[in-house]
Amino acid sequence: MLHALLLVGVQTIVLLVVAPFVVGLIRKVKARLQCRRGAGVFQPYADLAKLFRKQPVVSTTTSWIFTATPYILFASTLAAGLLVPVFASKMPLNFAGNIIALVYLLALGTFFLILAGLDAGSAFGGMGSSREAIVASLTEPAMILSIFAIALTAGSTNLSTIVHKTALLEGIVTDPAPHLMALAALFIVALAETGRVPVDNPATHLELTMIHEAMVLEYSGRYLALVEWAAGIKLLVFLTLIANVFAPWGIATTHTPAAIGIGILVYLVKVSGLAVLIGTIESMFAKLRLFRVTDLLGVAFILALLALVFFYILRG
Amino acid sequence: MQQMPLQIGSQMVDLCAALLLLTCFAIVAQRRLTACVDLFALQSVFLAATAGLVAFLTGIHHIYVAAALIVVIKVIVIPRILKQVIERLNVSRELVMNVNIPTGLLICGILVILSCFITQPIIPIGFLLTRDSLTIALAIVLIGFFTMIARKKAVTQVIGFLVMENGLFLGATAAAYGMPLIVELGVFFDVLVGALIIGIYTHRLQDAFDSVDTSKLTVLKE
Repeated sequence: MLHALLLVGVQTIVLLVVAPFVVGLIRKVKARLQCRRGAGVFQPYADLAKLFRKQPVVSTTTSWIFTATPYILFASTLAAGLLVPVFASKMPLNFAGNIIALVYLLALGTFFLILAGLDAGSAFGGMGSSREAIVASLTEPAMILSIFAIALTAGSTNLSTIVHKTALLEGIVTDPAPHLMALAALFIVALAETGRVPVDNPATHLELTMIHEAMVLEYSGRYLALVEWAAGIKLLVFLTLIANVFAPWGIATTHTPAAIGIGILVYLVKVSGLAVLIGTIESMFAKLRLFRVTDLLGVAFILALLALVFFYILRG
Repeated sequence: MQQMPLQIGSQMVDLCAALLLLTCFAIVAQRRLTACVDLFALQSVFLAATAGLVAFLTGIHHIYVAAALIVVIKVIVIPRILKQVIERLNVSRELVMNVNIPTGLLICGILVILSCFITQPIIPIGFLLTRDSLTIALAIVLIGFFTMIARKKAVTQVIGFLVMENGLFLGATAAAYGMPLIVELGVFFDVLVGALIIGIYTHRLQDAFDSVDTSKLTVLKE
């Protein structure tokens, strides 16, 4: 029991600590590719610490939803992160929920953020909310289908089981075509859901086309810190999903301290690699026009659907 | 001992074939003409990799020659010709299509499912190196055909045609371990000459109509 609590505690700490680092690393990669020196990799920690010390300013027209949303968003995103195997494949919390719970815990946070964007009554917030609703409703089917395709190869929707079986190469159907399609779909979904460049620009606060930043425009102080930290954790959860579901090798399959140590190290390397990849993609591509986002998410949906079809028709 | 590398090899071929299919979808969703040409070159790289793998696994040497020809003709020469055409035409993107992109993607998805159903009864009968390649080859042929129908610009129609040819080559390599070398040489020559002719024809179209929209050809003009 104590052992299990310890593991969950370590995973919570890893998620909380690594999330700002990933955000900082992506910014650093982008800065270097633009021939700037850029802020240090650990700058987001300082930003968060500063924001937590600042006094929040809350508009008098807002209701309780506005002040409750940062806590709900942060808690639901962290809970979603605890359902994903991060450095050890068999996590004690895996009884609490499977892939579907994960997707809808993330959707719960998005839902409240959309409400909060509307709550302040500013035009910008409402625009951001409406766009976020479009993006969220388009990514959800693609995400569910792509993870289902992977769940079929392992014969379970429990993430711990999928990762454990894949890591040991036991009892799974190795199948490059559906795996590749599901990976491509999930990667596009990850970019869209976390507001990265082809869909949204995380580096802007002054654009008519922004999505996530428009919704959180009214937040300040500790509320903004919680929202930004939650956004970082959400990004980290997606990167973890991609890294551990599709390439879980190196993850701790036993609970010895040595295996867990190696697991954490390998995890950091994998997540950093993905962060560098995302930074590079953000530097290479321009943001899509809002009405072209459906094209990109259409590709993700079709690929996820085809991954399922390939599995069912050709192996069924 | 002999079984294991063959299994890994066949999975590698499947992986390359899946990459070919992925680039197909990227071409269907892409509006910028130069990006379409780049994606076609990338697809040809994957095709050459598939051919090289099949040659390595089966030990049939003339497939290596075909793979080398793919690299020279489809990765280097044809994309350069097409880019010159695009540069001269001064059109960078395709805004109006016969079928819009989300619908086009859905149709392509249906085409893939259709080719799954068509090839499903055939696969257990033969002795194929891989499970997916034939399905993917048929799907690529259909998607290339669809691209030719859905797009209006002559350049993207050429790319659709070339994608179709890539699918045919993949099918021939996966199902029959390649055609005889003389046939392959003939096909490559055909494709090269075809791309050249279409390039010249596109220039003529531009001169006559100030546009490379092929639907203008249906209008009578004095």
